[in-house]
Amino acid sequence: MRTITLIDAIREAYQEEMRRDEDVFMVGQDIRGAIFPHTKGLVEEFGSDRIVDTPIAESGMYGVALGAAQEGMRPIVDFMFGGFSYVTFSECTVTTGQYHFLHGSPRSLPIVMTAGVGTGQRLANDHAMSIHGTFAHHPGIKVAMPSTPYDAKGMFKAAIRDNNPVMIPWHMGIMMLKGDVPELGEDYVVPLGVADIKREGSDVTVMANSLQLQHALKVADKLQEEGISCEIIDPRSFVPFDLDTVLKSLEKTNRLVVVDEDWESGSFANTVSANVMEAGFDLLDAPVTRVTLPNMPVPGGYMEDYIVPTPEKIEAAIRKVLA
Amino acid sequence: MSLNKKQMIKLFTNLVRTSHYDKMMYRRMMQGKLIGFYHPAEGAVAPGVGACTFLKKDDNLNPHHRGHGIIHMVSKGIDVSTFLAEHTGKETGCCKGRSAFHFHYPDDKVYQQSGFIGHNFAPTVGWGYAAKRRGKSQVVMNCSGDGSYGEGRAHESMLMCQNWQLPVIFFCENNGMAIFSSSEEMHPTEDISSLAQGYGMPAVIVDGQDVFAVAEVAMAAIDRARKGKGPSFVECKTMRFNEHDIGTPDLKGWEDRSEEEHADMRKREPVRLATERVLADAILTQTKIDGIHEASLKEIEGVEEFADNSEICLPSEEELLADVFVD
Ligand SMILES: Cc1ncc(C[n+]2csc(CCOP(=O)(O)OP(=O)(O)O)c2C)c(N)n1
Ligand SMILES: [Mg+2]
Repeated sequence: MRTITLIDAIREAYQEEMRRDEDVFMVGQDIRGAIFPHTKGLVEEFGSDRIVDTPIAESGMYGVALGAAQEGMRPIVDFMFGGFSYVTFSECTVTTGQYHFLHGSPRSLPIVMTAGVGTGQRLANDHAMSIHGTFAHHPGIKVAMPSTPYDAKGMFKAAIRDNNPVMIPWHMGIMMLKGDVPELGEDYVVPLGVADIKREGSDVTVMANSLQLQHALKVADKLQEEGISCEIIDPRSFVPFDLDTVLKSLEKTNRLVVVDEDWESGSFANTVSANVMEAGFDLLDAPVTRVTLPNMPVPGGYMEDYIVPTPEKIEAAIRKVLA
Repeated sequence: MSLNKKQMIKLFTNLVRTSHYDKMMYRRMMQGKLIGFYHPAEGAVAPGVGACTFLKKDDNLNPHHRGHGIIHMVSKGIDVSTFLAEHTGKETGCCKGRSAFHFHYPDDKVYQQSGFIGHNFAPTVGWGYAAKRRGKSQVVMNCSGDGSYGEGRAHESMLMCQNWQLPVIFFCENNGMAIFSSSEEMHPTEDISSLAQGYGMPAVIVDGQDVFAVAEVAMAAIDRARKGKGPSFVECKTMRFNEHDIGTPDLKGWEDRSEEEHADMRKREPVRLATERVLADAILTQTKIDGIHEASLKEIEGVEEFADNSEICLPSEEELLADVFVD
């Protein structure tokens, strides 16, 4: 094992998959110069033909991926910031998600989409978007988000090998988070659609991902001192979603808090809450409680700090379901 | 159009003022006294000054994002102290302290700063449409960078503005760069303005380091639009002295921009060029010029004091939620 950052882990996944398969290439803006470090140094190894910078033209940029995928290549599209994917929304959600199904086609679109997402920079709404819930809403696209360097490398590799379109953003708030990953050369993937229990516990189940997972783990440490035992589940994938792992946990805890850094309205947290009510109503001793962003555009400036889910808000939600 | 002495003094004054504003923003970012990020405008202040100094209050303006719009807004006569307050998260901010780098001065017809490059082009059509419908000889000054013309929206906007002969100026501030990407590599022709040809829209290219040259061209375009003669395209060849935004490496492609490139650029610093010109033409004396610098610094001190003396804005979540919709 070695210790590396989450963003370096993502880069290793690109490198290994691009070495393995000539058809894998990357398209984005300013990725050769590495506006975010996940693409640092890639152009030196793979050249400008495979690390492709486009003009500021998201529809055309996504079009490179869409058309090349139809031609049998395996593109990775980097939107830089998650919100910029909305500039080509119809292509990357509707057209992409329906392609295989609506054509009754044996073919699919092995496109990987990624972007930096999340709050934490106080830049306000357009640079602070969470996009996993929006993409999960559109059928035909797998959606996942890593929480640790180990998961990041393994999930990005799985996404690149997947024959379906996958949106796999990464949270800017944990890009420098360090963690153990296997030695270079040890090939592994983390399959999409499998949740991970990041901490075992018996009193309450907390589902959280990415930056929010870090918050949840902190809260669990604190509550442990009071004798409250939290089980922390990282969904890792939103589509497909591993509901079984959550239900199994609820057999033990009977209480669920879902933390989701997205607007409450139409959020993935809502999907989980509904799924659990339908499939696990008898397991619940308290209503499922959500910790999400309130339904307002993400403000910038100091106000960002207190509308986002915080350890304090997570702790309060846990106490509420235990009360 | 040739400029009279009074106009030249106004342009020179705005050039000096805005370059000091840009330096203030740079300094505050380095001092940790600005929220978010800052895209410095050093080397590229002349286009905004030339485009906006002679706009009327009723004219629509989309300020270029470089310099976060300050060059354009100050030149149009807007008091930006509330924008600095905004950019520092204060209660007195022009967007109630909730927006970081965004601004909103609807009374001055500056509606938005978008974090999405190219999002100026679509509403430009609507501003132009409204201006034409109302027939008040109002014009739309739509300023943005070379890179923004990559977006499909730019082309949709040019198409419709030309179809309907809307009073719009597509004002392109071409600094040859978009983050790390050179327009040489990203744009197939030497001039962005050659795009206008495809729409049959008149276009002109001007030295963007020369504030007086820019203003002459801008005034002609404004005049044309005001008289109902339709849209036109102005391309300013300008420069970016610094990195894209403070703290990002200064690369071209994936290599450092060369020392020579920097040295060459700095030979054409717009304030120095303008100073030489006003002295040579005996428009201003050195004493008068010194006075303009002093007054600018004093003005900016006041702007900073206003922001710094304002309270941090921290409403409750409930108050914010109550403000998502109007009644
Ligand atoms: C839709 C969208 N895509 C990409 C970006 C990232 N971005 C911010 S500024 C910029 C470059 C803009 O270049 P240009 O229009 O030439 O203006 P300049 O910064 O050179 O003054 C880019 C790519 C963005 N903000 N929005
Ligand atoms: Mg540019």
